[in-house]
Amino acid sequence: MNPISLPFPYSVKRHGVDIANCDDEPVRTPGCIQGHGLMLAVNPADLVVAQASENWPDWTGQPLEAVLGQPLAKVLGEVEAGRVAEMVAHEVLESNPLYALTLRLPTSAQPGVSLDLSIHLADGVLIVELEPTGRGDSPAVTDSDYYSMVKKTLVRLKAAASLAEFCDVAAHEVRRVTRLDRVMIYRFHADDTGEVLADAHRDDLHSWLGLRYPASDIPKPARDIFKRIGVRPLPDVEGTLCEMVPLVNPATGRPLDMTHCALRGASVMYTEYLRNMDVAATLTMPILRAGELWGLIACHHYTPIVLAYPVRAAAEFLGQIASLEIAAAEGREHLQYRLKLDAVHHAVLALASADGHLGALTDPGDGLIAGIAAGGIAVSEQGRWSTAGLTPEPARLDALASWLSLRLESSGGQPQVVALDAIAAACPAMADLAPVAAGVLAIPISQRQHGDWVIWFRPEQVQTFKWGGNPYEKPSVVGPHGARLTPRKSFEIWQEEMRGRSAPWLPVESDSALKLRLLLLDMVIGRAEQLAVLNTDLVRSNDELDAFAYVAGHDLKEPLRGIHKYAHYLLKEAEAGRALDEQGRERVDALLRLTVRMDSLLDALLHFSRVGRLSLEREEVPLHDVLGEAIDSLGARLEESGVTVHVPRSMPPARCDRIRTREIFANLIANAAKYNDKAERRVEVGYIDPADASAAARASGAARTRVFYVRDNGIGIEERHRERVFMMFKRLHARDAFGGGSGAGLAIVKKLVDQHQGRIWFESVAGVGTTFYFTLEAADLPFQALGRE
Amino acid sequence: MSDASVFRTRPILVVEDSDEDFDTVVVAARRGQVRNRLVQARSADEARGFLAAHAVNPFAFVLLDCSLPGEDGLSLLHDLRGGATNALLPVVVFTASVNPRDRDAFYAAGANAYHVKKVGFEDCLTSLQQIFRYWLSDATLPDPAALVALQRRAP
Repeated sequence: MNPISLPFPYSVKRHGVDIANCDDEPVRTPGCIQGHGLMLAVNPADLVVAQASENWPDWTGQPLEAVLGQPLAKVLGEVEAGRVAEMVAHEVLESNPLYALTLRLPTSAQPGVSLDLSIHLADGVLIVELEPTGRGDSPAVTDSDYYSMVKKTLVRLKAAASLAEFCDVAAHEVRRVTRLDRVMIYRFHADDTGEVLADAHRDDLHSWLGLRYPASDIPKPARDIFKRIGVRPLPDVEGTLCEMVPLVNPATGRPLDMTHCALRGASVMYTEYLRNMDVAATLTMPILRAGELWGLIACHHYTPIVLAYPVRAAAEFLGQIASLEIAAAEGREHLQYRLKLDAVHHAVLALASADGHLGALTDPGDGLIAGIAAGGIAVSEQGRWSTAGLTPEPARLDALASWLSLRLESSGGQPQVVALDAIAAACPAMADLAPVAAGVLAIPISQRQHGDWVIWFRPEQVQTFKWGGNPYEKPSVVGPHGARLTPRKSFEIWQEEMRGRSAPWLPVESDSALKLRLLLLDMVIGRAEQLAVLNTDLVRSNDELDAFAYVAGHDLKEPLRGIHKYAHYLLKEAEAGRALDEQGRERVDALLRLTVRMDSLLDALLHFSRVGRLSLEREEVPLHDVLGEAIDSLGARLEESGVTVHVPRSMPPARCDRIRTREIFANLIANAAKYNDKAERRVEVGYIDPADASAAARASGAARTRVFYVRDNGIGIEERHRERVFMMFKRLHARDAFGGGSGAGLAIVKKLVDQHQGRIWFESVAGVGTTFYFTLEAADLPFQALGRE
Repeated sequence: MSDASVFRTRPILVVEDSDEDFDTVVVAARRGQVRNRLVQARSADEARGFLAAHAVNPFAFVLLDCSLPGEDGLSLLHDLRGGATNALLPVVVFTASVNPRDRDAFYAAGANAYHVKKVGFEDCLTSLQQIFRYWLSDATLPDPAALVALQRRAP
């Protein structure tokens, strides 16, 4: 849209009839006030008058020259100006009109008229408004009874069981206080059309309850201004407009911001509209819900009426109370329904969580279909749809999901719930879905760009709207100021059948969908974490499978080749008819030796794979006893090789798997005993407490866990073999050196320690000895620091 | 170009920790009337020692098993290819592993050929005899001094 070039300085009195589009009208800076009052714009620093309304001389007899550029004290009187100065010093006046005093003007052309004076600050200008004191005879409002008035109203509003009752109470309370002819609660729908939810009116008037009004009846600038103000009085539709002189404030160089002025001049379009309805005066209060314009308390009166300041203040206050209570009222409205939705959603999610997939959501009985009232449900999981009830076919669901994702993306990911009751209006390409899916309620349930959705569908429901006048009516005769200023004259009820729409989604329903979304995301994230753990397990078992394949490929085949070879020789000898000679006997011996070797390799391999599968049974274990058992089990082998096992201090108890820990000790001690070429073979088994660790190790946090060790005076491990020590079937030495071995022992030990979530490492000096360290519990810090100190 | 007969006099390094398998290599060599001396290394370290000692009278080629105690055959091959003196020495892998990952790793490290040991004794002998015939008679082998000469010529 092109920027509109408005006349400057703007005055609704001069230019108001020339604005082509209501949405462009500068309603906050009309340049004019309503002629039933007076206004001054004052420099707040020195209280010198900068602007005055053009009707000032008519009311006071003072020519404008005697006012402009003069101190306020000279214009209003010393006492009055003193009161204003005091308020400027002490009150919060920014955008906040406050009553200051009631006065009679010193040189009044209309003697006897007392005026209420209120002041506020806007755009750095002090605005002084003077309004006739007006009718002060409302029985509901007296200074002494103000508190009980508010309290009664609040109690009645809180007692309302439904939204309709709440609105009804609000309308009647406002009418009780203001005694205006008609008080309506006017609700804005998502498409900005309005609907009358309550109508308290004079007995002889027709009810407008349930009537709808097109969005254009209250243009956007008017809706915006209602978010900022508490009350908007228009006491005389036929009243004159009076310009400010000068139109531009000399101090700011800008037109006066009259957003918060009670006297702000009304749009010509608005007064014409009211005139066509025979309305003579209005009072309007916004109802805000979470900062958004929920609706209006709209009061009509059929004769001009100036309400006393306290009455108007009471009406404004009631509007604010209604704003504070509206969310609670909507909550109460559907409390039972809300509780039911919560219960259904929680039950469905519990099932889905147990299943590990979202299938439960589309269960035709207990799924989401049992919750929010809908004709059908569709849920996509990894792009695959499952449905319950009546839904569009998968291809259309894909298209719909793409459209929803795009829409969400273009709106920056907000809002996280989409509620449409006329899909065709939002997405014409989907118009043909209306019989099944005129209404769409959707939540995204993944963060990916073209992610998954949960979508509820409602079929088309032909609805009858009662319009307050035909919203499509073209003026048959264009008035003197053009089409815009010829609003429709007929406000007779006009019925329209609305097609392509579903029953609207209630706030409780979209709230509930939003809550379901959060719960679903929690569940999905939880599952992703589980998957990550499973994945790690899978990677580990894949690695082990690879290791197994390697072992089967290299080590198990080796004796097999030998067996085949010797059998082959023996067969040849037999075929040649030769008896078994010395060489033949050696070959049979070799055959037997190889079968035994193969057997031991297979045993070790099976043992290794078993170690990985059994689950760990952690309990409080007396380690000293366990170590004793381990040494006993090795008994003969240790004695044969002349090994002494030294335990410097009694081992402490530990939380671990008893059998596995015994095996760890047995393997490490056997290893220590085997790879030793010293005359006196020594093995020492002990532990290092966190308290014993060196200061450096403690400072690095490396020694928070108790560390066990097995130390020998053996051949040592060369640094370049560090990586290979714990590999399956990896011998570091030729097959028959150090009594041979399968190379499984340390691999098994590592696996056992891994299962305890512990760590194993070693330090070694070739020819001097090796110390293996291990822990039996998880610790988040590396232990190498300690081991290599 | 060197005379092919030269290769018949060079020894062959067999890196193999299994005595049974080395014996099979010996039998295959005898059947194939290979006159070259067979030198057995039981580990990567031993192999390094022999390679250093034979710098003057280099090996014809290396028959390498990939599963060795301590360091494996692959890291020995890496060392060979990275060094100066034996970078061009043909290395024929003779191993039990059918794992494609092993095979590709050896080729990537610069192996000249990769043969899988068969369980059947006669099959095993046949493979080995083919290896001997190919590398000692069919193929011509590089001059061990070639690399040094090539490197000298480079700017």
